[in-house]
Amino acid sequence: MGRYVIRRLLQALLTLFITLFLLHYLTALSVQIRGNPALLFFGGERTPDPAMLAQIERLYGLDNTCFDRPGDPCLGPFVERLQNYAAGDFGTTLNGNRDVGELLTIYIPNTLRLFIFSTITLVTLAMVLGTWAARRRGGLIDHSVRGATILIDSVPVFLILLAYVYILAVPLTNWARDIWGAESFMGQVFRPNYNPDYPWTTIIIPGIIVGTVGLATLTRLVRASQLENLGSDFVRTAKAKGLKTGRITVVHVVRNSMIPIVTGVGYTFAFALSGAVLTEGIMGIPGMGRMIFQAVQRQETNLIIVGLTVTAVVVILVTLVVDLLYAVLDPRIRYD
Amino acid sequence: MAETTGPAADVLPGSDMNAPLLEVEDLRVEFAVRGRRIPAVRGVNFALEQGKTLAVVGESGSGKSVTSQAIMGILDSPPGFVTGGEVRLRGVDLLQQDEETRRTVRGNHIAIVFQDALSALNPVWSVGFQLGELYRVHRGAGRRAAEQKAIELLDQVGIPDAKNRVGHYPHQFSGGMRQRVMIAMALALDPEVLIADEPTTALDVTVQAQIMRLLRRIQDERNMGLILITHDLGVVADVADDVAVMYAGQIVERANIHDVFARPAHPYTKALLRAIPRVDAVGRELEVIPGLPPNPAALPSGCPFHPRCRAADPERCGDEEPPDRQAAEGHLARCHFAEEVYRDER
Ligand SMILES: Nc1ncnc2c1ncn2[C@@H]1O[C@H](COP(=O)(O)OP(=O)(O)OP(=O)(O)O)[C@@H](O)[C@H]1O
Ligand code: SF4
Ligand SMILES: [Mg+2]
Repeated sequence: MGRYVIRRLLQALLTLFITLFLLHYLTALSVQIRGNPALLFFGGERTPDPAMLAQIERLYGLDNTCFDRPGDPCLGPFVERLQNYAAGDFGTTLNGNRDVGELLTIYIPNTLRLFIFSTITLVTLAMVLGTWAARRRGGLIDHSVRGATILIDSVPVFLILLAYVYILAVPLTNWARDIWGAESFMGQVFRPNYNPDYPWTTIIIPGIIVGTVGLATLTRLVRASQLENLGSDFVRTAKAKGLKTGRITVVHVVRNSMIPIVTGVGYTFAFALSGAVLTEGIMGIPGMGRMIFQAVQRQETNLIIVGLTVTAVVVILVTLVVDLLYAVLDPRIRYD
Repeated sequence: MAETTGPAADVLPGSDMNAPLLEVEDLRVEFAVRGRRIPAVRGVNFALEQGKTLAVVGESGSGKSVTSQAIMGILDSPPGFVTGGEVRLRGVDLLQQDEETRRTVRGNHIAIVFQDALSALNPVWSVGFQLGELYRVHRGAGRRAAEQKAIELLDQVGIPDAKNRVGHYPHQFSGGMRQRVMIAMALALDPEVLIADEPTTALDVTVQAQIMRLLRRIQDERNMGLILITHDLGVVADVADDVAVMYAGQIVERANIHDVFARPAHPYTKALLRAIPRVDAVGRELEVIPGLPPNPAALPSGCPFHPRCRAADPERCGDEEPPDRQAAEGHLARCHFAEEVYRDER
């Protein structure tokens, strides 16, 4: 077990390092090929005063000659950036000159809240529906579950969001306020947009909506892995032991099916970021998805790199957690 | 002995201790496959007395496992259905009982050991948990008491260092030790009938012998009825009291083991006997039964064995299904010429 954990941790660190380097190298290449982004600061056409340009280049870490040599990996600035990150310095935005580190302390928790709610929704729905469908395989319930989840999953998430924001949110909010008052949980939860005074409550509904992304896939995964276990020899043993159906399902089927499901959840978590971009945009949630989207629009190189770095860290962490959960769930891995 | 730690569901309501331990009468099982009904068990009859061992022998696909699953009530259903017959335990027809009663019969009265212990044990739970589960569910034992019981059981089936092994997972045991765990699990609630479905097929020869000795010992100690399923007559020679030979979902010969070995009354049994390697016939070539076991979805007309039978009468055997004939006292064979075969005249 100990060796397994250490191996996975080292793998995660290595992956992180390689990802960061690739990210750096690609941006360096784009600067080398497409030209100096510091010029943008002066608004395109005009040729800036060389002294001022040099100052700006220094400010954004573009003053290294390596940026003039296409293909140069620019290791100096890379090491510098890692050192800055380690010291908690993520630079500033071109637009408004705000401290990126400070922005992250607002954005990351919001996106995490969104992910918490979406993951809970996705896992709960998929587990319940998948288990139900597996136990009634081939029957009406099985087919209905499949149809319904495919239907929900195939409607693009932004359509559900728009429909919610423009059709349901306002009447629901008014109705809830009449009964419970504007400052209550119910009065806030249906709001069509984010409210910084209620950072948890107003992210519940968007979280649930994002949680429908990948529902059909995960439900089928749950169903398939449970069916596989239902037909297995050890379930026959469990029946032969005179266990009740409920206990067999929970102790011998669901528990064993968790292993592929954990993988599935890990994947959907990584994909949920694209859902986050849309949701945070439409519902006005200041989070990582919206930040990356705006950074791309405004060509904020530093912000893009920071955003993608955070994303990479999250994906690698989730993968690490999935690997560790495997070990918890499957003794064959634990005692390798 | 594994005495109970709590309320025991030990007496089956309505049972009569003077009735035979287990009687199977005209048991029929069909599988619904793609809209067709395929008969896998076609009227099986046998009886098992306390303390006796019945060997059920037959080629792959003859219906041995399906019969045992139907007795246990653990057929995969659908596609499998019991379509007729009786399974009487001490006079009570189990097939007429509700699911709750049948559930308490499993483990408490009839237990089963499967062939492949690696897949028959749940890989994610320790063997202690899987053994203790029986006491927790059926006897309401607590975690501690259940584990203690598990250790005792592992010890009884000859697993060394049971105290430490109890927390181990199935994949950490060798094949033979895993099969011992399986046997321990079947013994946990002290059943009267133990079914062992090819308990040694997955093991190598020395381990096979150890497992057979273990089964024999515990059957002696506990005075259980044992149904030993195998496709190898040689394995059961010195363990079984009676033999039932299965072919195409029927028992084609049923007798005392000595009679079957000395004077088989069915050509199929004869062929099986010729296929056993024997020490006294080194150098003699082993005979293989020609042809393949029949497909239950397309059984031959008449006697299902006739396409492979040496003794077949070309007219009669292809048309007329043979009844059970008594070749000698207590020696039944499903062959038109049972008496002649018995006297070795055919
Ligand atoms: N799940 C199933 N679906 C359809 N048919 C089945 C199923 N299980 C068993 N059968 C049928 O029942 C027949 C008997 O199978 P069974 O497993 O009892 O054979 P067996 O005598 O135990 O053979 P083996 O020595 O290979 O274990 C098979 O030939 C097969 O046609
Ligand atoms: S009935 Fe005929 S075919 Fe069948 S076993 Fe007897 S002799 Fe052979
Ligand atoms: Mg079998």
